[in-house]
Amino acid sequence: MNYHECLAWIASRWTDELVVTSAGTSSEIWYEETGDTERVFYLEASMSLSTCFAAGIAFGTPNQNVWAFSGDGAFVMNAGMLTVERQMNLPNLKHFMVSNRVYGSTSNVPLPGRADNDYAAIARGFGIERVYSFGGMNELQAKFEEAVMEPGYSFIHLEVDPLDYRGGSPPMDGPEVKFRFGRHVEKVTGKNVFTAPLPEVKR
Amino acid sequence: MESLHEASTSSAARASETGYSEDVSREIVDICADAGISLVASLPDDWIAQTIARFEQDDRFTHVPMNREESAIGLCSGAFLSGTGSVALMGASGLMTLVYAITKINYTYEIPVFIMITRRGSFDDGAKFHVSNGLYLDDVVNAINLPCTVIGSRAELPMIAEAYHHSRKISRPTVAVLPKKLLQGKI
Repeated sequence: MNYHECLAWIASRWTDELVVTSAGTSSEIWYEETGDTERVFYLEASMSLSTCFAAGIAFGTPNQNVWAFSGDGAFVMNAGMLTVERQMNLPNLKHFMVSNRVYGSTSNVPLPGRADNDYAAIARGFGIERVYSFGGMNELQAKFEEAVMEPGYSFIHLEVDPLDYRGGSPPMDGPEVKFRFGRHVEKVTGKNVFTAPLPEVKR
Repeated sequence: MESLHEASTSSAARASETGYSEDVSREIVDICADAGISLVASLPDDWIAQTIARFEQDDRFTHVPMNREESAIGLCSGAFLSGTGSVALMGASGLMTLVYAITKINYTYEIPVFIMITRRGSFDDGAKFHVSNGLYLDDVVNAINLPCTVIGSRAELPMIAEAYHHSRKISRPTVAVLPKKLLQGKI
């Protein structure tokens, strides 16, 4: 699959889910496609931690669906994260693992085991029941409803081609990303994320 | 295979046999609950096996055994953004692996995280493989300007709650350090 086309199509199916993107390409493409600055945490400093981060969000917001993006670069660094995700088995968390067999955000440096790594098999080996693996847009589109929209934790492997993409980071510093996302969570959940709740503005 | 609860009970019994205080662990757990913590992400160290078991068996908490320390920081950082109070509990060696996660995630985005660690490598630590913690832990903590407090006695256990709340106040991680003799109920 073409990486950009794949993410753009998933973004077209996005409604009210909270989204966590990871370092480099997924953050850049998601921002380019959506321009969103409220419902997305662009975790560009992630290096294998984006889905653990998303699991923390999903744990505390059980009525919100959370889409988490990681890459196979993250996967080879921290495949054990799936043991935690399996154990937590959060019904509102979907883990999209975008595999292009390179460290995409660092000039497509090749990954260890790039020819042999079978990510879906590894996920199944950790006991994850809902594992999906898509290598083409037609398969993704045909099974998206089942893999992503139905309740239950799922691990979704997206096999894409390496991309020479230089879209640039979303134009926000870290604290702005935090406050925009956190205030959105406060608004939709009624929970206090920050010490001082933002008062209602009366017009 | 025994359940997680059963395995936790066995671990706690072993920790008691090796001299770690159930009472102190209960006090730590109560203080965390009162502070507003409900999610515990843990990595093992035999000094805190008793405490990990107490968290596991207490309905006020969701305890998540983690695969590595950085994952615990990821989970707890995300939990903050869902309005959930959490603690990452680990050995001193675990903190030594966290420079990347803390400086990139927590410092970049100014996300508070509360971390409790053991004071491995202290003079009363018999394990030679923890000597490096005694030599370098304080310097690593200072190098990344990580606010840190050593809980010197049972009377000081309420400082755990202070350290947790301080993290929220300054939007950075804070660390509470648990010495061996404290966890054994000797100080």
